[in-house]
Amino acid sequence: MAQIQFELRNRLADLDVLCEQVATFCESCGIAKKQKFEINLALDELFTNIINHGFDDEAEHQIHVTCAKNDEIVKITIRDDGVPFNPLQAPQPDLKCTFSDREIGGLGIHLIKAYIDQIEYKRDADANVLTLTKILKNG
Amino acid sequence: MDITETRHDNYSVFKLNGRLDSNTAMGFEQKLFECIEDGNQRLILDFKDLDYISSAGLRVILKATKNLKNADGKLVLCAMQDYVKEVFEISGFDSFLPIVPTFDDAVKTI
Repeated sequence: MAQIQFELRNRLADLDVLCEQVATFCESCGIAKKQKFEINLALDELFTNIINHGFDDEAEHQIHVTCAKNDEIVKITIRDDGVPFNPLQAPQPDLKCTFSDREIGGLGIHLIKAYIDQIEYKRDADANVLTLTKILKNG
Repeated sequence: MDITETRHDNYSVFKLNGRLDSNTAMGFEQKLFECIEDGNQRLILDFKDLDYISSAGLRVILKATKNLKNADGKLVLCAMQDYVKEVFEISGFDSFLPIVPTFDDAVKTI
């Protein structure tokens, strides 16, 4: 089992740290390029969501991320000490509406659900905890 | 992310190299809209060297497409890697955006 743990600040600049850490994790346990892209995208969307909605002060906060691979299952947890926020309850974009009605935004959570097999949210004491499960398929 | 902008008589080309995410989307939006405001309404986005796109990047493309549509303009995307294309498909953007396989196809379409 391969595991990696890292911290991000609630600053957009740390998206680059996230990207590097995901690359290190995926390369160390032989996860294919496409799946690395999918994991990176899901974490990116959740991280930017947390930064945009999670904190009502200007202070610096730490967001804790753990990625683990066991057989063909990747489990990721994201823990932040922001205001209670469940991204799974965000409104879904209407993908079928006509082009001119398409809203700008709202797509992040839709992409996460497409690439991640299972997502769970819980409020644990003063923290938001998201647990993501991705089953690696061939290719 | 590196952005190379080339303006031709009838169209302009933006070639993106690297990652289009929340950090780089704003810079890209600025360049794209400067070009549109200068009167260029036919744009090709060459994604051959684009490794990554998030919803922040999609947002810029949707905004530009809406803007160009109002001005009778056109935006064509080309040469995407498969997994970048899949992001457009999952988001339903392929239903209103022309996405073509090669840069030459884009020039013919524009």
